[in-house]
Amino acid sequence: MSKRLIRLSLMITLLLLMLPAAAQDMGELVPTITVHSVTQAERPIEYETTRLVVENMRELGLDVEHRAISLLQFFDETWYSRVEGEGRVEQPFQMTAWRMVGRPERSEPDEFTYNLFHSSVRDGGYNFIGYNNPDYDALAESQRVETDIETRREIICEAQHVIRNDMVNAYFVHPLTPQLVNTEVFNADSVVTEAGIGVQNFWNWINIEPVGDERNIITATTSNLNVLNPLEIAGDSPSRVTEIVWDRLMRINPDGFPEPWAAESVVWEDDTHVLLTLREGMTWHDGLPVTSADAAYSFEAALAGKMKTNDDGNEFFRAEAQDYYPFARNVMDIEIIDDLSLRLTLETPSGAFETSTLSKLNLIPKHIWEPIMNDLIADDGADVDSIQEEIPIGSGPFKFVAYDVNEFALLASHTDHWAAPKADGWLMNVLPNLEAMLGQIQSGEMNLLWEWPSDPAVLKEIADNNEHLTLFTETSIGFQYFAFNLRYAPFDDVTFRQAVAHVIPQQFIIDNLYSGIAAPADSFVSAALQYWRQCDAPLRSYDFSIDGARELLASAGYSWDDDGRLLYP
Amino acid sequence: MSRGVVTYIVGRFLQSVMVLWIIVTLLFLLFRLAPGNPIANYIDVNFTREQELNLLARFGLDKPLHEQYIVYLVNLFKLDLGETFSYAGRSVLDILKEDLPNTIYLTLSSLLVAYGVGVLGGIAMAALRGSLFERVGTTFTLMTRAAPTFWVGMLLLTFFAFQWKLLPSSGIGPALVRYRWETEWDKLMSPVFWRHMILPTFTLAVYLHGLPLLLMRSNMLEVLDQDYVTMSRLAGYSEWRVMIQTAARNAMLPVLTALTLGIGYSIGGNVVIEVVYSWPGLGRTLVDAVQESDYPLAQGAFFLIAVIIVIMNFIADILYSLLDPRVGASAQAQVS
Repeated sequence: MSKRLIRLSLMITLLLLMLPAAAQDMGELVPTITVHSVTQAERPIEYETTRLVVENMRELGLDVEHRAISLLQFFDETWYSRVEGEGRVEQPFQMTAWRMVGRPERSEPDEFTYNLFHSSVRDGGYNFIGYNNPDYDALAESQRVETDIETRREIICEAQHVIRNDMVNAYFVHPLTPQLVNTEVFNADSVVTEAGIGVQNFWNWINIEPVGDERNIITATTSNLNVLNPLEIAGDSPSRVTEIVWDRLMRINPDGFPEPWAAESVVWEDDTHVLLTLREGMTWHDGLPVTSADAAYSFEAALAGKMKTNDDGNEFFRAEAQDYYPFARNVMDIEIIDDLSLRLTLETPSGAFETSTLSKLNLIPKHIWEPIMNDLIADDGADVDSIQEEIPIGSGPFKFVAYDVNEFALLASHTDHWAAPKADGWLMNVLPNLEAMLGQIQSGEMNLLWEWPSDPAVLKEIADNNEHLTLFTETSIGFQYFAFNLRYAPFDDVTFRQAVAHVIPQQFIIDNLYSGIAAPADSFVSAALQYWRQCDAPLRSYDFSIDGARELLASAGYSWDDDGRLLYP
Repeated sequence: MSRGVVTYIVGRFLQSVMVLWIIVTLLFLLFRLAPGNPIANYIDVNFTREQELNLLARFGLDKPLHEQYIVYLVNLFKLDLGETFSYAGRSVLDILKEDLPNTIYLTLSSLLVAYGVGVLGGIAMAALRGSLFERVGTTFTLMTRAAPTFWVGMLLLTFFAFQWKLLPSSGIGPALVRYRWETEWDKLMSPVFWRHMILPTFTLAVYLHGLPLLLMRSNMLEVLDQDYVTMSRLAGYSEWRVMIQTAARNAMLPVLTALTLGIGYSIGGNVVIEVVYSWPGLGRTLVDAVQESDYPLAQGAFFLIAVIIVIMNFIADILYSLLDPRVGASAQAQVS
């Protein structure tokens, strides 16, 4: 037998040996899928949506388990269980209901474009689904350094297309935020709603105009005002207070774009140098003038920290202001030019710098914060989140009068401010009882309701029955979606994910579970951010169709066994 | 005081200490065995593992369970309840010290109303036994006792606060007045504070008045059959004097001990009322702490409520032993 013949027969034997193994792999049953959500009691709409989608996924021949657990456990089993063997529970999550809430700073598309999908933040950051696409990474990075807004918009459009085509997340709604304003107390025309946010925005607080004897804005929140500190983001309600007590160099305008505020001018000398000139005559609430030294110190405080050693003996940097450090991280050098001007040097060019740094960082008085920060740096254990000034001092349009963590925050107009509010005061009561909140808005005890964590249809009905109340609804920047763990089968397959997207009855969910008070979602960029949604081609649609989903699976080689169970290609 | 009574009191004291120890141990275990990460709410999603460990170390959660337990017990002895998770660098004791007075004012005022109405109502019902007043009164009392407090609270809020606008609906005072109160005394001297207390007090009293009323009524009925009451009547005292001075005085004793127990239980049971009326007290802080997974604060609030209940039980026991000689005697018999 020739060598050639021996080689050939060996190859044929090998092939024959491999055949059964391949046959086992092909047509293997798709294993049970667990879909996580929070319990019905905690988030009823999210729970019901998940239940509905799970039912539809079963129609595809899948064995699906709906695991509804309490919020604390939920994060352990999803966010903290991304990779096999490394999570808090044995099994990494497969698919989960998820939400990203709308915050003013999220009106800049960079946060979602980069943090949700860039491969560098797969292990510990927001990209908990494990999306890893070098082409997408390149887009996310280039939009970050692109300073021409038109070019940047095109890049962000492309990024949205990539995410939609890859069906990385199955978006279903942008909630509409229902809010009530007493238009007998305030001039209805003076109410300002911010794109993606609603009436609880900076511009409304300063512009809303009282027309009668009640000169104060009286609102409420269900959560305690745990800490009011310009270097700490303590939650939605405390942020409402900090954004009007402390001024910022720029502000996000109602259309979602940054505009100069405490800085009269923001001049880019080149891609990494920006010259800021403060307005003349601004004062802190204690009467001292606001200077460029204060502005510079606001960056220095956000960048302050100390080196620490972890258990393995490795040193790492720990910022004192953990929440604000990321905003200032790109600032390499600060040069004070005169009393009102300063120049910042950036480490890398940044298209989002005005929104994600200049519009976010609170201006803090150096004479108050320098001693506090020095003490903190000297103290090994404490962080800036442990600081609560008795009467906080800012330079914003409202100044502090008094506050109590579980009762109220009372502010008065800072009449010396160059954009002093039209109202005399601003009061936010802490009201844990939602029915009391409804009672108060109807009786007039409260005149603006911005936070409503319950059924939106209730507010609609109240507005219909009370002439003095006007309902405002705004599409949220935030969104609700199903997140897939892209690291593992079957969700590592784009066709499988697309098929799942086809079984989400988006319109049914909006009409029945949200009572029509939600907008359909197809991207991480909300329809509220119109500029960033002006793309040449519409995003791919995934119409609800169980048959369509089955066809898609079949075309990709998936099949069904005699019992109708889905088999891998 | 007889030796038996002293021995009884010392025994009850030791029992109370044991009960407290069991409670604090259970509290410690319950919060640590609960599913989920105790600091999940406070970890920013961008935190590195190191930052998370740092945070765990800051709250002592990185140590083995038995070490945490010993530290916890030692700290409790020093009345150090730890640092809250959710209130900027504030101690648990600091938060509880602010809340406790509000809860005490609410509890004492509602107990006063409830026991005042209850005792007088009980006497009247006993005196008018079999009348329409008694029949309607008893039914009404049983109804109020069965009605959930949050529902009664919501009803009162709807009518008195929102419909008729007679009384304020929430808090201890409007912020514009409230911020001028610098001390507890300022608060207590303000009519605004008392006005805000009317609805929550009344709601709680509606629930609480049933026990003293029914207790007083049945005690009175028992006492009215006693020979000394008949003797008083025969002696020619007026019916009013017989009822109040002779019968009621004797029928009051069990009601007084019920009152001491009531103080303890009401402080723990104010949770619902405090949430309905946004009353900044211990109960609401407890709910917030549990919702926000602020374990040190929740533990502290539970502990404080437990201490008050145990102390009040202890006082009730002492009162019993002092007022009823049989208690001391039986204790002495057990000892010997």
